[in-house]
Amino acid sequence: MTSLAQAVFIGSLVVTLLVVVLLVAVAVEHGARTRRLARDARRRAELTPLVHALLDGDAGDEAAMTAAPALLDELVLELLPQLRGADRTALQSVLLDRGVVTRAAGDLTARGAARRGRAAVLLGNAASVEHTGALVELLGDRAPEVRNAAARALGKNGDAAAVGPLLAAVTAGQPLPPGVAGMALLDLGVAALPSLRAALDAGFPVAQTLAAELLGLHGDPASTTTLIALVGDDHRDPHARRAAAQALGRIGSPVATAALADVLLGSGHAPLQCAAAEALGRIGDAGGLRALTTGLRCAPTVDVRGACADALALTGDAGHRQLVAHAQLRSATGEAARSALDVLALSRRPARQAAAA
Amino acid sequence: MNDAATSLIQTVNWTVLGYVVLLDVAMLVLVAFGARRVLANRRWAGAEGHEQIFASPLTPAVSVIVPAHDEEAGILDTLAATLAQRYPSLEVVMVDDGSKDRTFDLVAQRYALTRVTPRRTADLQVDGEVLSVHRATTGDPLTVIRKTSVGRRSDAVNAALNVARHPLVCMVDGDSLLEPDALLKVARPFVEDPVNVIGTGGVIRTVNGALTDGGAVLEPRLSRRWLVRIQAVEYLRSFLLGRTGWADANALLIISGAFGLFRRDLVVEIGGLDPLSLAEDAELVVSLQEHMRRQGRPHRLVFVPEPVCWTEVPETWEVLGRQRRRWSHGLGQLLWKHKHMIANPRYGTVGLLALPFFLLFELLGPVVEVLGLLSVVLAAAIGVLDPASAGVMIGFALLVGTLLSTTVVAVEEFTFHRYRNGRDLLALLAAGVLENVGYRQVHAWYRLQGLCMALTRRKPVWTAMPRTGFTTAADEAPAAGRPALSGA
Repeated sequence: MTSLAQAVFIGSLVVTLLVVVLLVAVAVEHGARTRRLARDARRRAELTPLVHALLDGDAGDEAAMTAAPALLDELVLELLPQLRGADRTALQSVLLDRGVVTRAAGDLTARGAARRGRAAVLLGNAASVEHTGALVELLGDRAPEVRNAAARALGKNGDAAAVGPLLAAVTAGQPLPPGVAGMALLDLGVAALPSLRAALDAGFPVAQTLAAELLGLHGDPASTTTLIALVGDDHRDPHARRAAAQALGRIGSPVATAALADVLLGSGHAPLQCAAAEALGRIGDAGGLRALTTGLRCAPTVDVRGACADALALTGDAGHRQLVAHAQLRSATGEAARSALDVLALSRRPARQAAAA
Repeated sequence: MNDAATSLIQTVNWTVLGYVVLLDVAMLVLVAFGARRVLANRRWAGAEGHEQIFASPLTPAVSVIVPAHDEEAGILDTLAATLAQRYPSLEVVMVDDGSKDRTFDLVAQRYALTRVTPRRTADLQVDGEVLSVHRATTGDPLTVIRKTSVGRRSDAVNAALNVARHPLVCMVDGDSLLEPDALLKVARPFVEDPVNVIGTGGVIRTVNGALTDGGAVLEPRLSRRWLVRIQAVEYLRSFLLGRTGWADANALLIISGAFGLFRRDLVVEIGGLDPLSLAEDAELVVSLQEHMRRQGRPHRLVFVPEPVCWTEVPETWEVLGRQRRRWSHGLGQLLWKHKHMIANPRYGTVGLLALPFFLLFELLGPVVEVLGLLSVVLAAAIGVLDPASAGVMIGFALLVGTLLSTTVVAVEEFTFHRYRNGRDLLALLAAGVLENVGYRQVHAWYRLQGLCMALTRRKPVWTAMPRTGFTTAADEAPAAGRPALSGA
């Protein structure tokens, strides 16, 4: 055997040893995990009546609750997001009494990102308002996952003081994703509306877009005028204008019809035109019929024509008549009209079935 | 002359051995990086915010595209699993791509399909003729396109893209089952990094042998067939760890066609899937990377090591051979088409790391491995093989391969622990050893054939894999007397 072969032989022994170590580790882990899962299942079964007792307001079990193992915290934390009202408050106080909230607050400055993030999630579930400041600070954390967790926790806490920082975090140096901030702001409810209205005019396009989306989801009629100004302004960001168009559709005020019709026919940005058409359909005002019919006939892209056809289907008999008239055409316009009529027929079918039943 | 031949054979032998060890070590490094990421992800388990993403009206809607060709064995289960996704807003667009079996009839009956005029959202080229478009009247957000097949999956996907309405498109194979939260988890990066993320992929596991019911995997189990068990290890290595490692290096080249989520506008922007590619999933990813790099636009492809799509894998050597030849053929096409990206710093880690790796180890790997086997046989035949040295070398190569497989199974056990049965775990470990003896060599032969097809510019034809369907509790009880097709 050559010296190289001998070296390889020694290498083989090392690799064999590693394989054996891994095999042993797998066997030990498998056995230990199986036992741990069985033990946890047993303990959970034991602890469940205790949790139920507390939910029923049986204060006599509080001593047992304090002495219960750490698994109880996991059980409570799993249950919390599914509960509302008094049940949620009862379990939140369990976490507080057992020192879980205090420990989590301490973990907000831990070195490990996952630990900081988990602590934020816990504080959110525990609706711990006194830690809003610490959570706001985490919106600037170096780890994006932690920033997201902090935002979600602030939304769950329900403290209106977080509205401003959440909106500001969307355009910060290390920005918060609009989707995450938006959901947190929605969780905070109507308390966010004044700040959202203000954000439509000021700030960066990304904040304007988010504000418009959220105001639309709230169906906030007080923002209609500002949204109309935004959607009609050619110099503003097209994404923000699109969000404004969608919001106007959700709010449903006929006051916006003229502005949306102008955007549908005047803008060269297909996604914005689609949003304007959809909004006109949602509003369902007869004033939008002409623009929608023109869009169905003349729009340069198939998706805008389709959006116009779908919108016409939502605008009552007059829109329906336009679709029927155009459905005869053997062109993209005709196809879009026929498609919209088919969808309309389909949407009416279950209703008919239900009525017959 | 004899000395020269001997010297040549020995050189080839050593080169091949070095190559195999280098490949396994490279894979081991990749697996180690992947394992690091998987473990880091697991630390966040339960705190990822999935509930908020599910509840949020801001979560982008998804069009799930399911191309199906002769999938009667499992299509109803696939659709049931897809439609049952816990996701705020989705539609499913299934394409019956010229099926000759009852695929369409089963779907039409189950979802009471009615014919509609398609609402086109894009104008991508489709070579097959679209025969009709249907909608479900059962209240399910399901659209079904019937078209003639041109023998390419990409054509079916492009037909679906032309009617997909939502900003994200998810491609799912007609023989795959998504776990209820799979879509939610794979969509999370789009919510958390909407500016950069252009595509995400999830873990694919083998469903053969697992206990299912109505599209839900009730109990992950290993098949009794060793060929399937070996592929289970292969899938774990490739999907769970390999792609996680590549994604970490921002050099992900493949998001499986069995389960991938992309921004629809970008897929349409690059003209949809390449109609001539046999590796249309990898081709899409590389084309997107190239497109975004050329335009200097931010982009990131993410591999989420958690969500699981269960898919059927070949149960016979013949079908496996067809599948692997196609993969290798497709890889050859892909690397040829994008050859200007290889070792090109303009394309970052994709050009400098991933593409050269795929060229050296994935595409050319079978050439070296088959050549090595032949040279060992030749050396033994002419009597220049030192049995002791050869045994040590071959043993070392096998051991490194075994170490790699064992590491993969260990990571699976320490993290996801999907196979609860100890016997399945043992079988998985044994399959990891067996993979290196026989399977690997036959696999190399299939890949070499695929490479030859690519080199000779053989006309690409996508061949459907025979389906056995999913195992249900009723299938396991012979007394129940149910037909073998769970979808029927």
